[in-house]
Amino acid sequence: MPLQQTMRYESERDRAFADWVESITGGENVKGCIQCGLCSATCPLSIYMDYTPRRLVNLARAGFKDEVLSSFTIWLCASCYACRAECPKQIKVTDIMYALKRRAIREGSYPRRFPIPILAKEFSRMIRGFGRTPETFLVADLFLRTNWLRFLDMIGLGLNLLRTGRMSFVPESIQGRDQLRRILDSVDGESAKEERAVKEAA
Amino acid sequence: MKSASNGSGPKIGFYICHCGTNIAGTIDVEAVREHAAKLPGVAVSKGYKYMCSDPGQEMIAQDIRAQGLERLVVAACSPNLHEETFRKAAAKGGLNPFFFQMVNIREHASWVHEDKAAATQKAEDQVRAAIHRVRFHKALEKKRVPVHPDVMVVGGGIAGIHAALTAANAGKKVILVEREATIGGHMALFDKTFPTLDCSACILTPKMSAVKGHPNITLWAYSEVTKVEGYVGNFKVTVKRKPRYVKEDLCVGCDACIDACVFKEAKFPDEFNQGLSKRKPVYLSFPQATPKVVTIDPKTCIQLKTGKCKMTCAAACDRKAIDFGQKEESKEVPVGAIILTTGFDAFDPKRHEYYGYGRYPNVYSALEVERLVNASGPTGGDVVLRDGRRPEAIGIIHCVGSRDEHTNKWCSRVCCMYSLKLAHLLKERTGAQVYNFYIDMRTPGKTFEEFYDRLLKEGVQFVRGRVAEVNDWAMTREEEGRLVIRVEDTLAGFVRRIPVDMVVLSQGLEARKDALDVRRIFNIGCGSDGFFQERHPKLAPVSTFADGIFIAGACQGPKDIPDTVAQAGAAAAEALALVDAGHVEMEPNTSRVVEEECSGCKSCVPLCPYSAITFDEAKKKASINEILCKGCGVCAAACPSGSIRQNLFEDDEIFGEIEGVLS
Repeated sequence: MPLQQTMRYESERDRAFADWVESITGGENVKGCIQCGLCSATCPLSIYMDYTPRRLVNLARAGFKDEVLSSFTIWLCASCYACRAECPKQIKVTDIMYALKRRAIREGSYPRRFPIPILAKEFSRMIRGFGRTPETFLVADLFLRTNWLRFLDMIGLGLNLLRTGRMSFVPESIQGRDQLRRILDSVDGESAKEERAVKEAA
Repeated sequence: MKSASNGSGPKIGFYICHCGTNIAGTIDVEAVREHAAKLPGVAVSKGYKYMCSDPGQEMIAQDIRAQGLERLVVAACSPNLHEETFRKAAAKGGLNPFFFQMVNIREHASWVHEDKAAATQKAEDQVRAAIHRVRFHKALEKKRVPVHPDVMVVGGGIAGIHAALTAANAGKKVILVEREATIGGHMALFDKTFPTLDCSACILTPKMSAVKGHPNITLWAYSEVTKVEGYVGNFKVTVKRKPRYVKEDLCVGCDACIDACVFKEAKFPDEFNQGLSKRKPVYLSFPQATPKVVTIDPKTCIQLKTGKCKMTCAAACDRKAIDFGQKEESKEVPVGAIILTTGFDAFDPKRHEYYGYGRYPNVYSALEVERLVNASGPTGGDVVLRDGRRPEAIGIIHCVGSRDEHTNKWCSRVCCMYSLKLAHLLKERTGAQVYNFYIDMRTPGKTFEEFYDRLLKEGVQFVRGRVAEVNDWAMTREEEGRLVIRVEDTLAGFVRRIPVDMVVLSQGLEARKDALDVRRIFNIGCGSDGFFQERHPKLAPVSTFADGIFIAGACQGPKDIPDTVAQAGAAAAEALALVDAGHVEMEPNTSRVVEEECSGCKSCVPLCPYSAITFDEAKKKASINEILCKGCGVCAAACPSGSIRQNLFEDDEIFGEIEGVLS
């Protein structure tokens, strides 16, 4: 294993990022975190995480943006809300995880070839396109973008599913797709506005 | 020597305490009880779960009455704890309380052994010794001695001030002795107090004036206790009054002499401001100093050093208060009780050399920062660094001289909270980015955790980790010209370098440098940490092993202002309980001289630590003052002719004990 220097300089901190974390909906109590670790202890997935939720909150409020946005932690969060329910300082950890996921996708800093962010991204892209998630396309897309060799393994199963009508190459869609798109644009616009406000404040 | 092993002696009652499982868990109490029952003279042998409880005591009293017991032996805990309890139980049953012997099978056996059989064997040996000894006990009476009603308080910080006012308000005459030129102590240095952030001066100075104006309080500032003689209720204290070279009763603290001093510029470090400003040889510590009397420093005053000064100060004083001929005075006063409130020393951060205190001008001690943020401090509360800059980033390092085997092992208890306070004040005054470097955040007081939460939300950065070093070697551009703190951020999981403009070292609290000397003067004890030792950590927290001498505040151990004041009140109450009783009962374990056997060799006279032995020149015999004798036994052991006898330690009692343990 190659040796790496792990020391952090103050210049690696992004204070605007810390301010942003505190400003997002759900981030208002993050300053009050006493680092007790209850979130990590109660989390069913923390045992697989590169940074435990406690450590992630600590890094986020100190402004270590790169570590936070490239972590696996935010993608492993299954939104079970156990941490959110038990936090003694009422920090909305799950909400923060969501905000961090959106930001990681926007900045393209999520871990490469890791299926969960890709699934999230493709899921939302397909909703935007069809108003539904056509599973044939979503699954094909996910395998091609993460591990196309496994896609080859799955061809047999896929053909069977097609034959029995469980999967289709005709994408399902909804009516009024333009209306849905307007709703999504408006939501995106709001969060973009928030973003800009934070950047200006910083 | 008469043999103790025949069965015709007095009727003895024996009782063994289980002390829950404290004793019964290690010692087979039933075996010991049976063993004792078979010993000659033992009429009653019983065990009970808690002998010290009311039913336990009642059982003893009833047995004495019903069975006509003439001696009592209780095997339980240390006599320090319950000797008095069982003496009272004996008296309740109508027995002289000194016909009783206590056996310590808890501290001396069950607590210190693991082998049950051996511990039981040892307990049986101890019990046998006591049962053999107790038959030789004699009926004794406690002596009553009148108590002097006055109280002395030594140390004029907030603890001494509060204790003196409490006792004085109860109508007692109080003498408050303070070493420095003014009372007020450390609290007078602070701007705000945690966690309420109320102004320190606003709550302290009214109490200082109350001391000065109280008809029952005599304030002796600039004075030190040099000798304490006597005993509980009747101490004779010698106080050295250092010369101020100013007549206290004439000076009104008008400053005219200070303005007139031949030194036009103040050029000597001002101790009160921690050396952050200068003073003249004639000075007033701070405007609210109490007593408001100037002091002339003999180390810097030209007249006192060389005798060749124009003495413009004396000429400027229209009350003729300056007196260069003043001499040190020694006063002797009788008091009934003494309260020691001598406070603490702040840890000298120079001893922690990796933090650069004294090497980098912008590394400050917490006490210096207290003065720096103080509205009446050297900068009027403006936080300007020694190099004239204003800090944009400040690092506060906790536990400097605390929790460290190299310096002091203990947690100094107040540093987390005062560091939070300083973080708040520094952020408020400078708008700087403030970092706190801590090992554990300790906020265990009323509304303390809420204060921590407030600081977190104010945006102070908390980095958990003990700082390794502070230096000025820049490794990046942003570190250039600044101090760099190297620390592991243990919560983030990596080492960090943090450049700051100002470093604050949160010094721990330690015992006064001369605590050991003071301890000897007052004949009390110090713990391994150097702080004065309380009689019992839970049940006698302000008493000492010297009866009539009480302790309060940080001289007993690090503590904050609320705890200090609470202890001072407690110490005052203990002192009042003593002097208001009007008399004390003396333990009758005193020594006496058997005159016909005394050869008049005088060997005992200089040995007595309490000066209780005098030599009667007419009779050529030694004589012991029973009131002064504390029963230490030195004289009895030293007397070459064996003509000094000590109550409760007579030869037959001791030989009986030895015979018992060996039989």
